Amino acid sequence: MKEVETEETPQENYFLLLLTAAVIFASIAAIYLYVPTEKTEGPIQRIMYFHVPCAWLSFFAFFVVFISSILFLWKKDREWDIYAHASAEIGVIFCSLVLITGPIWARPIWGAWWVWDARLTSTLILWLIYVSYLMLRSQTEAGSMRARYAAVLGIVGFLDIPLIHFSVLWWRSFHPLPKVITSEGFGKGLDTAMMMTLLISVAAFTLLYFVLMGQRVRQEKLRDEIDRIKKEKLYSH
Amino acid sequence: MRQYLNQIKAIVLKDLVTELKTKELFSSMFIFALLVIVIFIFSVDLSIVKANEVGPGILWVAFLFAGTMGLNRSFMLEKENGCLEGLILTPADRTAIYFGKLISNLIFLLVMELFILPLFMIFFNIDLISFLGPLLVVIFMGTLGFCAIGTLLSSLSSNLKTREIMLPILLYPLIVPVVIAVVRMTGQILGGESLGSMMNWVGLTLAFDIIFIGVSILTIDHILEE
Repeated sequence: MKEVETEETPQENYFLLLLTAAVIFASIAAIYLYVPTEKTEGPIQRIMYFHVPCAWLSFFAFFVVFISSILFLWKKDREWDIYAHASAEIGVIFCSLVLITGPIWARPIWGAWWVWDARLTSTLILWLIYVSYLMLRSQTEAGSMRARYAAVLGIVGFLDIPLIHFSVLWWRSFHPLPKVITSEGFGKGLDTAMMMTLLISVAAFTLLYFVLMGQRVRQEKLRDEIDRIKKEKLYSH
Repeated sequence: MRQYLNQIKAIVLKDLVTELKTKELFSSMFIFALLVIVIFIFSVDLSIVKANEVGPGILWVAFLFAGTMGLNRSFMLEKENGCLEGLILTPADRTAIYFGKLISNLIFLLVMELFILPLFMIFFNIDLISFLGPLLVVIFMGTLGFCAIGTLLSSLSSNLKTREIMLPILLYPLIVPVVIAVVRMTGQILGGESLGSMMNWVGLTLAFDIIFIGVSILTIDHILEE
């Protein structure tokens, strides 16, 4: 999927951009005009349609970092290093958004900005892991060493996620139980209109991921190109 | 196989001999751990909170902070005078270097912890003797997990510009599961429970140990390159 992303002609890229914009508008319309207000929580509950897709997107982005890191160590191709880097940046941004929208939602509902609940804690740890991943990247100079080190950390960090999940889950938890995929089946925990809105939002954010990813990858490739040209000019004189 | 074990043994012995000559690392780790405990005692009021509720957390923070010093030093020592290049040039397998370093780190940390335990017992007025068996098992499992991932990251961070700073930043978020597990287990053991009643934590810690030793074996080649 990602490979198609970058090999795309500008025209197809334009199409993806338009599609993303359309779905984002549709999801905003659904959130504010279509979906009914939740009975007990009131209008604040609408933040869920941003909060949950952000969480999904950041997790998805970190998964891409993991896969790209493995493929990088295997193939030693700069392409995969770029994917890992771009995806980690996007993941950290959306993970930060989760950590910002979460407390805004929690304050009126739970009466506190932050509680040391299992999922809040694991999201915070996740954020710290990938911030340290980006710090590692910024501390090393571009080249094979940076790519290899980052790839190792990308793999180690992702494998740590299930362990973090269980450790904080047994530590303590009072987050609402998963509503979308429950033991009774897909989408049983939510009202249909809410479910639809959430799905549109998730689709919008997922498309946004690919748009951002395409931009970031292109930018990084241009940077490589500039570096190459600079070196060429430098040595030709 | 025998040759492989000899390679590991040679690296461990080299580290032990260096340490026995200088005693730099052990003394600094021990004093640092002691200082951490003392500072934490000032931050909690032991006349209000129960010692065996805050004790395990403080004990492990001391172990891990002091342990980070040991890990930092482990590969930095090799960077001086180009020893690491020498090690890589030897016919030894890269994983043998990892295991050698892992075992020597483990030995340093365990010795430091054994010296800290009696002091902890005195300062917090907790009886550890009757729980010593399960406690040592937990300490070993936790320290192994910490060293497994710590040795990998230390081999990586020793090549960075800001190595002493980057190691804890990379390491601490990753060791969260093992920290929670060992602190919980230590607390429950001091509360008189047996290891059998906390199998989920034991399993989690063992899973952590196995996963990260495995990942290190698979990825150490890519770190100790060139």
